[in-house]
Amino acid sequence: MDLTDLIITVVKTAVIYIGMIQVVPLMLIVERRGAALIQDRPGPNRVGPFGLFQPIADVIKMMMKEVIIPSQVNKALYLLGPSLVLLPASLVIAALPFGDFFSVFNKPYLLQVANIDVGILYVLAIGSLGIYGILFGGWASNNKFSLMGAMRATSQIISYEIPLGLAACSAVLWYGSFSLREMVVTQEGTLWGVIPNWGVFCQPLGFLLFFIAAFAETNRLPFDLPETEAELVAGFHTEYGPMDFGTFFMAEYMNMATMSGLMVAMYFGGWHLPWIADATLLQWLGSRNILAILQVVTVVTKMAFFMVVYVWVRWTIPRFRFDQLMRLAWKNLIPLGLFNIVLTAVILYLKGAA
Amino acid sequence: MREILFVIFSIFTITAASGVLLSKSPVYSAFSLILSFFGLAGLYLLWGSTFMAMIQILIYTGAIVVLFVFVVMLLNLNTEKENPPNLLFWGISAGSVWLLSLILLRVLTRSIPSKLPAVPVDQLRTISKLLFTRYLWPFEVLSLFLLVMIVAIFAITRTGEIPVGGEKS
Repeated sequence: MDLTDLIITVVKTAVIYIGMIQVVPLMLIVERRGAALIQDRPGPNRVGPFGLFQPIADVIKMMMKEVIIPSQVNKALYLLGPSLVLLPASLVIAALPFGDFFSVFNKPYLLQVANIDVGILYVLAIGSLGIYGILFGGWASNNKFSLMGAMRATSQIISYEIPLGLAACSAVLWYGSFSLREMVVTQEGTLWGVIPNWGVFCQPLGFLLFFIAAFAETNRLPFDLPETEAELVAGFHTEYGPMDFGTFFMAEYMNMATMSGLMVAMYFGGWHLPWIADATLLQWLGSRNILAILQVVTVVTKMAFFMVVYVWVRWTIPRFRFDQLMRLAWKNLIPLGLFNIVLTAVILYLKGAA
Repeated sequence: MREILFVIFSIFTITAASGVLLSKSPVYSAFSLILSFFGLAGLYLLWGSTFMAMIQILIYTGAIVVLFVFVVMLLNLNTEKENPPNLLFWGISAGSVWLLSLILLRVLTRSIPSKLPAVPVDQLRTISKLLFTRYLWPFEVLSLFLLVMIVAIFAITRTGEIPVGGEKS
């Protein structure tokens, strides 16, 4: 690893991470305007053109508010809570593939922070740590509502990690690899020459399970039971001040972006455009780096689609009741996930035999 | 470089593990346990086994300790509720620690190779193949054992009639 490699790796990591943080202010305005659109009202449209500068105003407001640490809290864990949520949310981004590779001085560099050979396991493992922030933060707040919210968040996330993992299991079986990059590479081309060879067509049930579990993992409506304002004030972040709440908020949006990125990589062909092979595209465009830009645009567009779906679902579907939520996970999603694994295995066996 | 990292991770793991025993509050103990598992995962990574490191974090840190913390917080254990240790308690503890150390010593001196075996290049395939061929029976028996334990605990802790047909919707 010489100096150029080092510089390019550092720059690449910084660009990807800073780019992913921009999801937060962007989603702030998309969410508020989206909600307004669905509820047939104007929404925030005063700050800047079309209210585009609203996130700046929101963030300034959060920064300027007085920080209050309640006197009854366990200070160390209370302050640790928000960062323990944000840290895993930032770390998982490293495994997401944003494109094939670009080249500098005829040397290829992957459009991914780290091509981990057990990428999907890495995402599941690090992603599952975010719960500690909520758990410790809720407990340290020393408030019944916070504790209840934290308990709900834990049981919900633990339960929904199982269908998520089962869906990922069948995807791993199907692609024959744990690496997210390998998965995307496998999805090139078409199935019987008609439909794109994407995971969503090969693993429809797996995608459905992953999609539902992703909503529960990110604590989004219809599964935002940990922070139901009608029952628990604000759930686990009841006692948190302006920017601490802001940190939880950032982590939620970054988790949404990661989940979208995972769905794109595992089920929606990653950087591939439907029906067009990478080699053909390269011939048309003539340059590896222009192709790389096109691939990044493709991935980001697909991710943006899922982010909009998140907003759309949030303002359309009412909230579940907690026992309904648990029943959905344990009695419906988990058996379906197990069935999907067996089904995938049988299909793969028959394919291998034929 | 490897040696320095090894020492750092080892000290980290051991310090965190002592924190589990020494901290007064069960919540802090659980927190130390998480940290020590991270140290262990780091040691696995150092050995070159990314799979083991990730599984360590996924299963132990991400699932099992979460449940520990969950139960601790749900019961809201406080330090002052702890029973004062008596002589019998100390006797039994010391006896079991002594016995356990003897067993561990015996096992360790017999089976530890002087050098760690190299991690196979395709570790996932190797582990899966071994699990499904050579160690298939122990593996299946263990999972059956776990299942029996779950059912047994359920039967013991559940008092009164179990309603037929599940909970009302």
